[in-house]
Amino acid sequence: MIVEAGQLALTFVFALSLLLAVVPLLGSFTANQRLLLLAKPLAFGQFAFALVAMAALVYAFCNNDFTVINVAQNSSSTLPWYYQVTASFGSHEGSMLLWVLMLAFWTALVAQFSKALPLLLQGRILGILGLISAGFVAFSLFMSNPFLRSLPFFPVEGRDLNPLLQDFGMIMHPPMLYMGYVGFAVAFAFAIAALMSGRFDSVWARWVRPWALAAWLFLTLGIMLGSWWAYNELGWGGWWFWDPVENASFMPWLVGTALIHSLAVTEKRGTFKSWTVLLALAAFALSLVGAFLVRSGVLVSVHSFATDPGRGLYLLVFLLLVVGGSLLLYGRRMNSVRSQARYQLFSREMLLWGNNIFLLTACLIVFLGTLFPLFHKELGLGSISIGEPFFNQMFYYLSIPFALLLGLGPWVRWKQQQVMPLMRPLSLVAIAALAIALGVLSSMQSVQANLALLGMLLGAWVGISALAEVVLRLRQFGSIGKGITKLNASHYGMTLAHIGFAVLVIGVAMTKTYTTERDVRMLEGDTATVAGYEFTLTDVYDLNGANYGGQAAELDVRQNGQFVTHLHAEKRFYRIQRTVMTESAVHARLSRDLYVSLAEELPGGAWALRIQVKPFVRWIWLGGLLMALGALLALADKRYRRKTTTTDATVAGVADA
Amino acid sequence: MRKVLFYVPLVAFLALTLFLLSGLFSDPRERESASLNKALPDFALADLMQPKKIWTPEKLKGETYLLNVWGTWCPTCNAELGYLAELRKQGVKIVGLYYELPRDPTFDAPFNLAVLQQDVQQKLTQQGDPYQFNMLDIKRSLSLDLGVSGAPETFIIDANGIVRAHHIGDINPVVWRSKLAPLYQQWRTP
Repeated sequence: MIVEAGQLALTFVFALSLLLAVVPLLGSFTANQRLLLLAKPLAFGQFAFALVAMAALVYAFCNNDFTVINVAQNSSSTLPWYYQVTASFGSHEGSMLLWVLMLAFWTALVAQFSKALPLLLQGRILGILGLISAGFVAFSLFMSNPFLRSLPFFPVEGRDLNPLLQDFGMIMHPPMLYMGYVGFAVAFAFAIAALMSGRFDSVWARWVRPWALAAWLFLTLGIMLGSWWAYNELGWGGWWFWDPVENASFMPWLVGTALIHSLAVTEKRGTFKSWTVLLALAAFALSLVGAFLVRSGVLVSVHSFATDPGRGLYLLVFLLLVVGGSLLLYGRRMNSVRSQARYQLFSREMLLWGNNIFLLTACLIVFLGTLFPLFHKELGLGSISIGEPFFNQMFYYLSIPFALLLGLGPWVRWKQQQVMPLMRPLSLVAIAALAIALGVLSSMQSVQANLALLGMLLGAWVGISALAEVVLRLRQFGSIGKGITKLNASHYGMTLAHIGFAVLVIGVAMTKTYTTERDVRMLEGDTATVAGYEFTLTDVYDLNGANYGGQAAELDVRQNGQFVTHLHAEKRFYRIQRTVMTESAVHARLSRDLYVSLAEELPGGAWALRIQVKPFVRWIWLGGLLMALGALLALADKRYRRKTTTTDATVAGVADA
Repeated sequence: MRKVLFYVPLVAFLALTLFLLSGLFSDPRERESASLNKALPDFALADLMQPKKIWTPEKLKGETYLLNVWGTWCPTCNAELGYLAELRKQGVKIVGLYYELPRDPTFDAPFNLAVLQQDVQQKLTQQGDPYQFNMLDIKRSLSLDLGVSGAPETFIIDANGIVRAHHIGDINPVVWRSKLAPLYQQWRTP
């Protein structure tokens, strides 16, 4: 009954999204204020019913309603309740519904917080979001319905959730990621609305900025959580795999990063307009391409959902309509837009332009690396695969100039900057970076000309430069104390995010260089020494979990005879799915992780264990977290909430039409 | 010129869609081994146990055999040794291609043949020895030419040295009976 209510609710969502797609857009072309005003209630209604639909699905999962195919295939009665909830978006069908819910949520948010926008623009934006939403709801409803029943013949027990997905990181990862993906739909809708009206000014950029930032914030968190999950759950201590689906989330992130920087230029200087609009279109287009790649089975990946060319075809047609249509509009409208602002070669505009070039090059590399095997095969040249070394090398070369510029960027003024005044502070920063990098490395490891040294140098350069720049700005307010409250929140946000990047670079370089890894054979009581840590296997025993069995190993870790920690590693066997999962034991500190995974039993009661000591690996996720926090701070900036021009603009907007 | 420039994204996107469309209707998982139904790539590999002895494709001709890519470092390979040894008792000729892992000059001990021989000897004594002999692919060149993506992988090579089948993953009774045994029979009696 509840499930049917969910189905009904989803049908209502479809109806409302269609109305939302048609009514306000119609109103915008006929200058009908009443039609435009309908957009808001429609958006709220859409969200409310999407919420009901999702709740019904969660209800079915939590009540083990195995007559629902989706539940039977992705859950079981032995699954703990919190994984039953997450199982509701663990499958293709459920995740599509989550996607719909997120989109409805963003649409409702736009409806709620767009009072400052002219009514016409507001209606157009919501209408475009409704159009996108209608496409996805139709897909969910007709191509991958999560509520389908298998009556009259239904299983008494479900097939359980894929054990890989039974992890805390997995509870949070998909919702965050989808919030990010879908969030770029808002920036996309703003861009389309602007293309329709032909108005791209600073005001427009200021409206888009918080939305782009918010989407970017969620995408950053989602990607970070995914990486953290892979590290914990896949059992060999890797944190990024250049898997096609990871890449599919990384591409919109790179373009989104370029977008939030380019938007700054458009807002402050009224230039880079066509560029910014293209980025706003591209960020969402790449999210859609990502959704297509994951769900169509075009690429092979651990993340892929079951292959179904029918679904793939639907998504491709949808992609063609949405992205193709928007790019056509872009081509027709954009050539009349000109930017007047002038700037010198050495100016913040140019540096941000450089930032965009590097980010887009990175995106292009990921794109080609991901899709090249497909191109190659479809051109009849046979199967090939592109692996980590390609990406790693490319990103190694890209990140050096990128980090150097990043350290410089915030110091440089808009329009033009004299070189000389920057020489002194920047050389001080460079010297401090050199001293710190060498100091840290020599206290921890030996100083060698390797990746770690390079990463430390670049990280210190970016980090110190960001800090010093803030201090300089604070001083400009008279005294630092006075400045602290006066400086914009978005400036702090930028600084924090840049420091996050520095932390990330250091983490990657240190982990890559100094990870020590050993595969050992151990009997109970044996001790293995890795990187100065003595790991003693104290006990191995059988496990008996709710939906799994297996073995667990207990280890004591000592360093120089001093007890450090106790570790508990598991090798689980999930009974229903009949799969083996490694639950690694991780002891995390800021300076290093101890990482032990239990491999297999060897003859004679011995066990194979993989022991790793990974210096600074935490910094990778800490960096991501700092970037996300930076975005949050920037969102808190007051200027996004000014409401002065509301009434004039509303009137003007309708009069225009 | 400027007008045309703004259509570039659209054109690029349409080109991409074409590829995606054709990709949709071909199976990405079908990964034909490029070497299938071709002669073994040329090689000269030392015998693992008697390094003076060099194996070439010529020397291997004359009988259909399984070429099994493995390493002591690979748990699944070790697990299949027992069953492969049984197959050997049933008269299946199995040649081992020992896949040596790349070494990190900073952390790993340099390659030591004696240690490896000892490792292999120990593993084969413990688990069972399916191999007529083992060839040491120290540079992984033959594995690379054959399109090996991991271990264990097994090829069926016929009496004329033509690669006839490529199996990725372990060989267990089910896989043998349902997939490999028929192929082996087919190519043993040309």
